[in-house]
Amino acid sequence: ILSSSCHTEADIISTVEFNHTGELLATGDKGGRVVIFQREQESKNQVHRRGEYNVYSTFQSHEPEFDYLKSLEIEEKINKIRWLPQQNAAYFLLSTNDKTVKLWKVSERDKRPEGYNLKDEEGRLRDPATITTLRVPVLRPMDLMVEATPRRVFANAHTYHINSISVNSDYETYMSADDLRINLWNFEITNQSFNIVDIKPANMEELTEVITAAEFHPHHCNTFVYSSSKGTIRLCDMRASALCDRHTKFFEEPEDPSNRSFFSEIISSISDVKFSHSGRYIMTRDYLTVKVWDLNMENRPIETYQVHDYLRSKLCSLYENDCIFDKFECVWNGSDSVIMTGSYNNFFRMFDRNTKRDVTLEASRENSKPRAILKPRKVCVGGKRRKDEISVDSLDFSKKILHTAWHPSENIIAVAATNNLYIFQDKVN
Amino acid sequence: MEFKLEAHRIVSISLGKIYNSRVQRGGIKLHKNLLVSLVLRSARQVYLSDPCPGLYLAGPAGIPAPPPQQQPGEPAAGPPAGWGEPPPPVARASWPETEPQPERPSVSHAPRVGDEVPVTTVTGVGDVLQGGEADATEAAWSRVERPRQATAGEAEGPAGGWGVFPEGSLAARRPCGCPLGGEDPPGTPAAPPRTACCCAPRPAEDEPPAPPAVCPRKRGAAGVGGGPAGCPAPGSTPLKKPRRNLEQPPSGGEDDDAEEMETGNVANLISIFGSSFSGLLRKSPGGGREEEEGEESGPEAAEPGQICCDKPVLRDMNPWSTAIVAF
Repeated sequence: ILSSSCHTEADIISTVEFNHTGELLATGDKGGRVVIFQREQESKNQVHRRGEYNVYSTFQSHEPEFDYLKSLEIEEKINKIRWLPQQNAAYFLLSTNDKTVKLWKVSERDKRPEGYNLKDEEGRLRDPATITTLRVPVLRPMDLMVEATPRRVFANAHTYHINSISVNSDYETYMSADDLRINLWNFEITNQSFNIVDIKPANMEELTEVITAAEFHPHHCNTFVYSSSKGTIRLCDMRASALCDRHTKFFEEPEDPSNRSFFSEIISSISDVKFSHSGRYIMTRDYLTVKVWDLNMENRPIETYQVHDYLRSKLCSLYENDCIFDKFECVWNGSDSVIMTGSYNNFFRMFDRNTKRDVTLEASRENSKPRAILKPRKVCVGGKRRKDEISVDSLDFSKKILHTAWHPSENIIAVAATNNLYIFQDKVN
Repeated sequence: MEFKLEAHRIVSISLGKIYNSRVQRGGIKLHKNLLVSLVLRSARQVYLSDPCPGLYLAGPAGIPAPPPQQQPGEPAAGPPAGWGEPPPPVARASWPETEPQPERPSVSHAPRVGDEVPVTTVTGVGDVLQGGEADATEAAWSRVERPRQATAGEAEGPAGGWGVFPEGSLAARRPCGCPLGGEDPPGTPAAPPRTACCCAPRPAEDEPPAPPAVCPRKRGAAGVGGGPAGCPAPGSTPLKKPRRNLEQPPSGGEDDDAEEMETGNVANLISIFGSSFSGLLRKSPGGGREEEEGEESGPEAAEPGQICCDKPVLRDMNPWSTAIVAF
C-alpha cells in the first residue's frame, strides 16, 4: 500500500467548520491560514440557483513559532476552528494550533470616512496653516472589505498538543484540550485558564492513555465529554467538583477478543467525538468504525457502522506507512438522522441511522463537475471485481478525507480532500 | 515462527517510528508515540513468547493468550533460527554516534537514575568525552544540553528539549566526519552500532530511538538520555563504545567489549520498553511492569546495573542484539 503526496504541504486543509447559521464556512490549513467562504444570497433573478460559497476572507491565523526553552518548533497548522454564535454584525471564531488559541473577529467594512480636515484624501497630513475652512467628514460607500483582527490570544496554557476546542453553550466560556489536560477559559480573560481535567500521572512511565477529543454538551453548559486513546468516553459534570478527574459517566465497549491483533489498541483509539444536535447522543470515530452512543447507556454503543472494514487485514501495512494514525472526524447532519465520515481514496461515507442505508461517495475533480450528481462508489473486497468497483489494493492512501462538515440545517456538506475543498449540495429542492 | 518474524518486523518498524518522531516538526506527538509503544510491547511479547505464538493472537476465537512472559529471559536458547550470524559491521556502523556529551550534564542533573550507574561507567564517560568530537556533533549536542538543563527541574514538556530537532540540526551533524568510513573492521564482532556518524541517514535502521520521553531530565539521567540517538542507556555503557571505536577499534578484551556492546544495545532498548523490559533481562520469569510506559521509559535503576554484569543474561540477549543491528 503506497502513500505518496505531491502538493504544497502548507495548503493541506486541516479543519473545516460551518458557522451556526451555515452562512459561513471556515477552513484552516497546515500553513496556519484561515479561509472563510460565504454563501451567496439567493438572488431574486435566479430563484432556483442555490447559494454557492465564495471566498469571503483569508487571513494568517498562526505563524510557526520556536520554543527556545525546549528547543521545540511549534507548528502553525490550524488544528481546529470553532465559531461563536453571532451576536452582532461581526463574526467571531476560535482557531487553534498546537499551543495557542486565538479569537478572531471578522467584520465588514463597506463605508469609509471622507473629508477629513487634517489629512488629504491619500492620508497625508495637511499643513494646518493651509486650512481655512472646516467640514464634517462623512461616510461614503466603498467596496466591501472584510477584515479579520485577532481579538484575544490565549497562550501558554498547554504543555502538550491541543487537539480540541469547544465553545460552551453559555457563550462565555470555552474549553481547550490537549493530550493530558483540559482547560476552561473565559473569552474575556487571556492570562488565566481553569484546569478542569488532568490525567497526567505523577510518574509519566505509568501513562496509559491520552485525551484525544473533547466537546461541550450543546445545551447543558455544565456537561462535557472527552474521549481517550483507549476507546473510552467520559462524561463530566463541572458542578460535581472543580477538577473533573472523576467522570460522571464512563462509556466503553468491551473488546472483541477474536479481533485481537498487534494493532488492536491503535484502532480503538477514538479520533473524534461529537454530540448530536439534540444532545442525547454522542458519536465517536475510531480507525475502522463510527459508533453512536446513548448518553443513558454506558456499556455499549447503540449503533456501530463499519467505515472501511476491508482495511482490517491490512493493518500492518497501514501501520508501516503511518496511515493507521490518521485521525478521521465525524459529523451529524442537522436532524441527527445521518452521520458522515471520511475514508481513503477521497471516499467519504454517509450512514442513514433510520433506514440503515449507507453510501460511499468520492470527492474528486473528475467526478465533480458542477451540477453533476455524485455516483455511489463501492470497494470490492473479494476476488471478482465488478465494473465500477475499486479493489482494496488500488485505493490511494495518500488521498484521505479526514475533515468534513455538514450545514446545520440544510443538506450541504463540505469535504476536505488534502488541499482541495469540495462543497456538495443536495439536489432535492 | 512467522509470528516471530512478523513481531520482529513490527518491533523494527516501531523503533524506527519512535526514532523519527524526534525529528518531526512540532515536537514529539505524545499520542502517536504512546500507540507505537503499545504496539512495540505487544510485538515484543509475541517475539519472546513460546514457540507457539499464534495463540497470543487468539487464533481460535475467544481463547485468551497465554501469558507471554513465560521465559522472559530467554527468547531462544541461542540465536533464533535465521538470526544467528553476527550482524555485519556495516549495520553496526550505521548507529549514529550518540551523545557522549549530554551524558555529562545529564548525569549530574538526574542523580535519580544516574545513581544506579556503576561508578566505572561514569568514569568511562569521562574517558569517552576526552576524545575529540567532531565539531558538528559537538555543536549539535550543545544544543541538546542547553534545553535539557533548562528543563532539568521540571517534568513538563512533551519533547523535553531533545525531542525535536528541526531538520537543520540533522544537517549540521551530517558532515561530522563520522566514522562511517572508519567503521569497525569486519573482525569486530561487537562493534558498537553507534560508531557511525551522528547523521542519521537511515533513521529507520538506527539505534534504538529515544523513547518519546516527556521528561528530558529523566532521559538525560538515563545516560544517553534523549539525545538524538536517544538511547537512554542506563549506564553510560553504550557511550563508551562509540567513542572507543571511533578512536581505536577495540582490541584485546574484545569479547568483553562484545558482550558489553550487546548490553549496550539492550540497554538502549530498555529505554524504549521501559521497566517491562526488565523482565526480559531477569533470569526469572514474570518480568517487570506491564503497564504502558511509552513515554518515560527511564531505565529502571536496578536493571542497568544487572545488565552490565550478568553474563548469562547477555547470552540471552543475542536475539535482541541482532534485532537491533538489523535496523
